[in-house]
Amino acid sequence: MAEVREKGYHHWEGQLREKGPVFWPITRTGIKLAFQRKRFKFLFALSFIPAISFAVGVYVSERLEDFKFMAQGAEKTLQVNPGFFKTYLSQDFIFFMILLLMALGGAGLIADDFRHKAIQLYFARPLTRLDYLLGKAGVVAFFVGLLTLVPAVVLFLLKLLFSGSFKFFLDYPWLLLSIIFYSAFLMVFFTCYILLASSLSKNRNFVIALIFAVYYLSEIVRGISYVIFRSPYSTLLSIMGNLQQVAAGVFQVRPAQDVPWYLSLLVLSVFCLLALIFLRRKLRGVEVIR
Amino acid sequence: MTAVIEARNLSRWYGNVLGISEITLNLEPGITALLGPNGAGKSTFMKIITGQLKPNIGQVAIFGQPVWNNRHIFRRLGFCPESDAFYEELTGLEFLTGLLSLYGFDRKECLDRADRALELVELQDVSRRPIRSYSRGMRQRIKIAQTIAHDPEVLILDEPLSGLDPLGKRRIIRLIKEFRDAGKTVVVSSHVLPEVEALTSEIVLIHNGKILARGDIHFIRELLDSHPHMIRIKSPQYRDLARLLSSQDYVLHISFEPEASAVVFETHHRDRFFDRLNELVLDPGLDLEEITSPDDNLQAVFDYLVER
Amino acid sequence: MREEIVRVFSLYFFLGKKSGRARTFFLLSSAAVLMALIIRTYRLAGHLTEDGQVIFQNFLMVFFLQFLIVLLGLFYGSSIVAEELDSRTLPYLTSRPVRRTAIIIGKYLAYLSLTSIMLVLAVLLSYLILNLDPDFRLKDLMTVLRYSAILWLGLAAYLAFFSFLGTWLKKPILVGLAFGFGWESVIQYFPGTTQKLSVAHFLKSLLPQYASSSGKLGFLFIRLEPTRPLVAVLILAGIVAVFLSLACLIFTYKEYLFED
Repeated sequence: MAEVREKGYHHWEGQLREKGPVFWPITRTGIKLAFQRKRFKFLFALSFIPAISFAVGVYVSERLEDFKFMAQGAEKTLQVNPGFFKTYLSQDFIFFMILLLMALGGAGLIADDFRHKAIQLYFARPLTRLDYLLGKAGVVAFFVGLLTLVPAVVLFLLKLLFSGSFKFFLDYPWLLLSIIFYSAFLMVFFTCYILLASSLSKNRNFVIALIFAVYYLSEIVRGISYVIFRSPYSTLLSIMGNLQQVAAGVFQVRPAQDVPWYLSLLVLSVFCLLALIFLRRKLRGVEVIR
Repeated sequence: MTAVIEARNLSRWYGNVLGISEITLNLEPGITALLGPNGAGKSTFMKIITGQLKPNIGQVAIFGQPVWNNRHIFRRLGFCPESDAFYEELTGLEFLTGLLSLYGFDRKECLDRADRALELVELQDVSRRPIRSYSRGMRQRIKIAQTIAHDPEVLILDEPLSGLDPLGKRRIIRLIKEFRDAGKTVVVSSHVLPEVEALTSEIVLIHNGKILARGDIHFIRELLDSHPHMIRIKSPQYRDLARLLSSQDYVLHISFEPEASAVVFETHHRDRFFDRLNELVLDPGLDLEEITSPDDNLQAVFDYLVER
Repeated sequence: MREEIVRVFSLYFFLGKKSGRARTFFLLSSAAVLMALIIRTYRLAGHLTEDGQVIFQNFLMVFFLQFLIVLLGLFYGSSIVAEELDSRTLPYLTSRPVRRTAIIIGKYLAYLSLTSIMLVLAVLLSYLILNLDPDFRLKDLMTVLRYSAILWLGLAAYLAFFSFLGTWLKKPILVGLAFGFGWESVIQYFPGTTQKLSVAHFLKSLLPQYASSSGKLGFLFIRLEPTRPLVAVLILAGIVAVFLSLACLIFTYKEYLFED
């Protein structure tokens, strides 16, 4: 009698041959897909305007005598010091562009996988939940890094090149580390923020609305509570306020509000931790076919 | 018989991509199946005749009236779209009553009609569960329920049998036949010939946006039979199998794949070939591991018609 | 036509109530109530804060006017067609015996009702929490009702504008964000007729005003050149009528393709 064989799915137990980290294909695809979205390239280019103007600032700062006619009264602003880098890395426009770019290229990172029921396809492969999360996080971190770490390091190097000496480096030997630390912090924070929002709904438009709504709501709450309580601690309620306070602490400049910067660091770190716990729980709920 | 659906010179492009080209078709009461591979233009044709899309060229009329933006026609029309899309938060019953309310039925009538439709597709037991918890087959059946709940005279069903298990398929086929018996006009699309065979003998073959043939299914069957099929059988006794079948006059060619322990037959009589194969499995008891058709039969017919 | 609108309205009001996003937006709008509760508790604990009316005006101008009604209008308005396209449910609607105009107006009214409940509840509750004391008078109640009506008019205008964007554009949300939180804020700083190219201008003309700053840094402050109240109301009503009509017109003649 003929044997009837069952045709079905079998989990692949083989050895992974791909070179490099396991999560890299997810990151690579996410970055590629982001660039394929309409208007993304335009907005991406637009977000480098501050970097270009700051680069011009570095150039002018080295030739103040030549630009006297233009720079009159702005000498203080054109001083390249830790405050200059703090301003670049914590300006409203950079945060806004990060949100805008990530609304376009990051809102669907997890939401789309849930919507199209594709999430199980990831875990049917030799991928852990951590690999999946790292892969998605890589996409956000890549763009945030590109807008913060890369231009800030380039600005630092430009300053050294234009000045023709290592004096600037010797004056602030810790500055490069501060740039790296703060950029890394921004990468971690925005990664948690975007991935958390993306995991809250299957609807990409809803996620986009949420990304902006929470960010601006926190700013509004800060504004209202400041008017009412007149307390500088109101800044702890705002995402932007906290990011700027941490920047002031890391770059050792006077913070905008008279509140210890480590409190802001603590608030944002707790937020990231809660986001990661939520993401872990959300992914744990996905059924894995093996 | 008067045509219920009249399509004249319908053409539709999506940018540079051709959807359908110069389709002229009159469809009468009864079941008509649109048969064609994926991307042939079946769904585009169905979307045009249900007023979801406008043709670039040509006209379409149902009961002599244009379809686009004609709400009077929609009262007499039921459309089952291909996509697996729903208002996921709603229960099956809410989904049906909600859509029925758009026809202006009162609450009680909506409930009665929804209950009747749920009964017809055998989903009463799960009618109060959210659609997001439905299996693929249930989702397909609730989609069919929303098509028939308002008792339309014309039913346009885009791939209604996809995702259904054999039992579910049989139920829906029976239901569609009941609509035919009630004098309704049913248009069904599919790319699976045996499914279409079970439904109707009136078929329209669509390929690359054009109608290749229209007529009785037996005509298509003849075309299939005149065109040799390839059947690949994997078996440890593949040489014995070849020996036993080589004497049959409907076997035209035999080739071996020793590395895969398989043999490939070419035949112009699929049914007779499989009848004999069944006999051989029982006596002398050959052990078969896999039966596949390297060339898709339907595709072969299309290729044949295109060449012709 | 009226009957068709009512049918669409009933279906989408029910659907809107059941959706998870309604709960999220309800929670978001409750942020004002929560803040009001905190402030009231703080005051009851014996701490001094600003007067309840002054605090509420902050809520009104910053939270409700510049944030909540824009966000609700943007999300619900732009989703009128986009949500059907994203979830591929549009054929269920467009193959029913209802005019396309009725679909837009019915959905618009359903979402307006839903968001109005969120808005008016939040406005009334936060006002009452901040101001309800033995001195509370009927006049105060009339004031908050007037504020609610103005905000409601603003919500209706934003919802109509974003409904128009939603029927016209394939991806309306980002353009909507740029308009709602970019253009609407920036244009307020411009003098003369320029600032009248926003919905917010007419709403601010109807609400109690902040004193404009003058002096050297005067250009950094919003200088409202208010429109007469009756004209402002008429223009807001006109915005609703014009953009809703445009949305209906586009939806009637435009074909919508799913992304394949």
